Amino acid sequence: MPERYPGYDVLAKRHTPSWNEQTRRVIDARLALPREPRFLSEDEFSTLVAVGARIVPQPNDRPPIPVAALVDHKLVKDHGDGYRHAALPPLRDAWRRGLRALDQEARDAHKQPFHRLDAAAQDALLKAAQEGRLKGPAWQSMPSALFFSHRLVRDIVLAYYSHPTAWNEIGFGGPASPRGYVRMGFNRRDPWEAAEAREGDEASARRENQRVR
Amino acid sequence: MRERIVGVTPTGAAVLGGLALVGLAALLLARRGAVAETGRRLASAAPKLLEREPVAPPRELGPRPVSEQPALRAGRRLNRASGVLAVSVLLDSAVEHYRGSFNNKAMISPLVSSALSIAASLHGVADQRVAAHRARDAVYSVAGLSGFVGTAFHLYNISKRPGGFSWLNLFYAAPIGAPMALTLSGMLGFLAERVRENDPRETPLVLGFPAGRAVAALAGAGILGTVGEVGLLHFRGSFQNPAMFLPVTVPPAAAALLGCCAIRRDRAPRRLTRWWLRATALLGIAGVGFHAWGVGRAMGGWRNWSQNLLNGPPLPAPPSFTGLSLAGLAALRLMEEHADA
Amino acid sequence: MSDDPMRVPRARHGRAPDVFRPGGWVPMQQYREDEEVDFVIVGTGAGGGTLACRLAEAGFSVVAMDAGPYWRPLEDFASDETEQTKLYWTDERIVDGENPLQLGSNNSGKSVGGSTVHFAMVSLRFRPEWFKARSKLGYGADWPIDWQEMWHYYDEVEQALKISGPVRYPWGPKRPRYPYRPHEVNAAGLVLAKGAEAMGIAWAPTPLATVSAPRDLSPPCVYRGFCTIGCSTNAKQSALITWLPRALAAAAEIRDLAMVGRVAVSDAGRAIGVEYHREGRWRFQRARNVVVAGYAIETPRLLLNSATARYPEGLANSSGLVGKNLMAQANQAVWGVMEDEIRSYKGPPSLAITEHWNYEDRGKDFFGGYAYMSQGPLPTLWANTEASGRGLWGQPLMTEMEKYNHQVGLKIVGEMMPQERNRVTLADEKDDLGLPIARVTYSWCDNDRRLIAHSLRFMGQALEAAGARDIWRQEDDTCHLNGTARMGDDPRSSVVDADCRSWDIRNLWICDGSVFPTVGGVNPSLTIQAIACRTADRIRTLAARGEL
Repeated sequence: MPERYPGYDVLAKRHTPSWNEQTRRVIDARLALPREPRFLSEDEFSTLVAVGARIVPQPNDRPPIPVAALVDHKLVKDHGDGYRHAALPPLRDAWRRGLRALDQEARDAHKQPFHRLDAAAQDALLKAAQEGRLKGPAWQSMPSALFFSHRLVRDIVLAYYSHPTAWNEIGFGGPASPRGYVRMGFNRRDPWEAAEAREGDEASARRENQRVR
Repeated sequence: MRERIVGVTPTGAAVLGGLALVGLAALLLARRGAVAETGRRLASAAPKLLEREPVAPPRELGPRPVSEQPALRAGRRLNRASGVLAVSVLLDSAVEHYRGSFNNKAMISPLVSSALSIAASLHGVADQRVAAHRARDAVYSVAGLSGFVGTAFHLYNISKRPGGFSWLNLFYAAPIGAPMALTLSGMLGFLAERVRENDPRETPLVLGFPAGRAVAALAGAGILGTVGEVGLLHFRGSFQNPAMFLPVTVPPAAAALLGCCAIRRDRAPRRLTRWWLRATALLGIAGVGFHAWGVGRAMGGWRNWSQNLLNGPPLPAPPSFTGLSLAGLAALRLMEEHADA
Repeated sequence: MSDDPMRVPRARHGRAPDVFRPGGWVPMQQYREDEEVDFVIVGTGAGGGTLACRLAEAGFSVVAMDAGPYWRPLEDFASDETEQTKLYWTDERIVDGENPLQLGSNNSGKSVGGSTVHFAMVSLRFRPEWFKARSKLGYGADWPIDWQEMWHYYDEVEQALKISGPVRYPWGPKRPRYPYRPHEVNAAGLVLAKGAEAMGIAWAPTPLATVSAPRDLSPPCVYRGFCTIGCSTNAKQSALITWLPRALAAAAEIRDLAMVGRVAVSDAGRAIGVEYHREGRWRFQRARNVVVAGYAIETPRLLLNSATARYPEGLANSSGLVGKNLMAQANQAVWGVMEDEIRSYKGPPSLAITEHWNYEDRGKDFFGGYAYMSQGPLPTLWANTEASGRGLWGQPLMTEMEKYNHQVGLKIVGEMMPQERNRVTLADEKDDLGLPIARVTYSWCDNDRRLIAHSLRFMGQALEAAGARDIWRQEDDTCHLNGTARMGDDPRSSVVDADCRSWDIRNLWICDGSVFPTVGGVNPSLTIQAIACRTADRIRTLAARGEL
């Protein structure tokens, strides 16, 4: 897929009025997260890395967003959503159980751990989980559909789109304080917003985006 | 029951603009039988406008030097007034049209027109000849017309948005009264040329009308129109600061007094009017200070200039009062120096 | 800031944070715990914060407690969704029922200032007939308050918050002009407008509790769009920057990071104070009156957790209704994609609204009403909507997400019916302080389903008429919480009377969204604050008559 916002980088605005001190601190901390797991085991982490690659596939022409590390970090802090479905165990238990169960399903079906399967097989298993068709004993009465929608997909996409690279991908304006936005109408952008590449004219959008500050 | 006053198509907008022109002309026509007379005056003035050389009858002017000719001084004052107003228009339209991303290519025209008007006005202030100048006339006429065209564009911009002529669109779409400032600048400049080309021994006239009263009418109408625009935008700002009431109280009083002087030739309150006009002129400068304070207290202050100069109170707008007051003061002088002007 | 407001209380040592000056402080009156203050208020949100202000200004001694931190918006709020989840109630609760609710960011704040720190600032009045929903409209229950009395209190709240609204509001009876003018409507809002015009209904810029012009120390909104995760501009007129500074100036004390675990009652059955946890240990504050204002989950939780031998079913629960009649509001949406760039992340999320279906009764096969508004979801919220709400993942998700700047949506705030089976009870699980956590059970009824179906159909048509394509429906979402300690004029069928005074314990009051008998088709914050203002006036009157 050609880039929609070529050359756009919210980090280029770090020292503009669009970012404040507290935002820089928070984003710096996120970008400095260790890539190794601190909560999940190596096996669980491998499964999570593989799952992440299927849920939020990334292009390989840029540094990847460390989705698995971000989810692992959430588990370290044990920051829940403030509620959980009655049929789901708490955050950490749900993830542990779900990753192990998924891996077990992979071994049962293909004699391989999840992360060694090919993409099509992985997708098939994830789809089965989403549709509630995975019921092996490793799930221990945690419905796979509920785990999929309320934990797996939710925590993974929340992690992915918490990263500045994802903001660049979708052309989000990024942090905005004290400076917000002036032009809010149709087809209007402020000079510090992402320029969208028109059909066949990536170059001028790239030039605009390089001027973003 | 939506927020909608009246819907207008582009044609309708042009018609409204034309009606505004006719209305303004009607304001200036203060006498009976004026229509026919205006026609005759315009017809006789036209050849002068078309001549190659500036029409400066080389007469014996008597003991007074040319530079002290009252009509010439008045004309130069009006050039100045026009120029001051044009500066406000140039800066204001530049900022606002930049905010509008120059989305329509025509949005460059008020910048060009007002810049030329400034040049013409500077030239006119320096020009000591008792004659109109063809190039300045052209620039001023174009400015006058551009403002009408701009008004039509702005009316279209307001009317095409959901809600049409709603309060919301009057607040946030193209400002309805702003282009007329360019027209006023052009008309003041045009009158400057008409005033200065008068025979110094005769009562100064513009297009057959007493110059003082004509300029007073234009300046007064201009001040009132500007008050309307300010009132709208300060209403949008909820008059949250008591100082925001100043530009809707002081200038109308000045316009009223000026009108009073124009109507009551004897026992006109000239001194009071002069001071009110000066106060209004100063208010135009003070307004920039108030607006700068407003920019500074917005989120991020001056450091967030890329937002606050556009979203905050417009810095170049208040000096329009200064330009119009200068015109009013010139009119006052004309009326003082000639009983019939 | 070297202190961590989530670990160490800020309001102590005779001072509270000055939310308008970085690093600044305002003096704060402090009361001794063994001093019997006139009022201790549990919760400082739309109900508790407003009441604390008005009671303090009336001369009562007030201690207001909140489990949440005392934020300094100018310094603590970052432009980051993940970081700002710190504003929400993230302690565990269990949800079940046929249609389990989503809590957290939707409806549960944990801050000094309550949910008004993260709310979307939509400030609407009830339709007058809703106060007599049963007698006039045939559903729900009647409120024991007359709409004209509420109209007066709505005036007061709108003035206190300088609500920025349209010059003329298209719906409802005559009302004074909003104190400030409306905000500019962004492209997302204009899509609502175009759709409304195509459908032949009225629309308006949404009345919002964020200022469109300077107000004292609040600068005007900068349209940064992070409203629901904390306004770092201080343009949003939350309780934190409006009612609470007034309360402090009137000698109220605010205690942050103070979780109340129990309302204590004497043997004679009167409230005598609260047990609360702060700075690592349990404490007790004596009070002549206790006000519970923890919103519709924590309020019943506290009342149930405060059960004694005399009140085995929990406090104020002789009717058995504490925790019952929980009402959320339907929050379904339709979404689509436009050719135009919308970039809806700019500006407050709901800049345009139509209340047509709150005031039109013809053409409905359901009781109640709904409003719908334009939307501007931030990236992680939007991604989760596409993933969990629409079921997308993998490349299809990434492809959809790339259309972010062309997304538009319309979302309802829809009236849901009071049902006793929708309730808050105590779970077996306990939290870190040893208190049983809340279980929130919710199921839609047929009326709810018909309202939802009607709204999705109508909004889908409107969105299409406005030029959107690839339209899809978000079928499962709710917002807000009300009803779990309803007011009424009969102790057998209500928990509190019209003055928010509980029938069973005359010095125990409940002042938050729990008291709503019906929930209406508008966001509840303005009504909660109006009720709090009325309650304060009633308390003054009762006190003057010696009836307190």
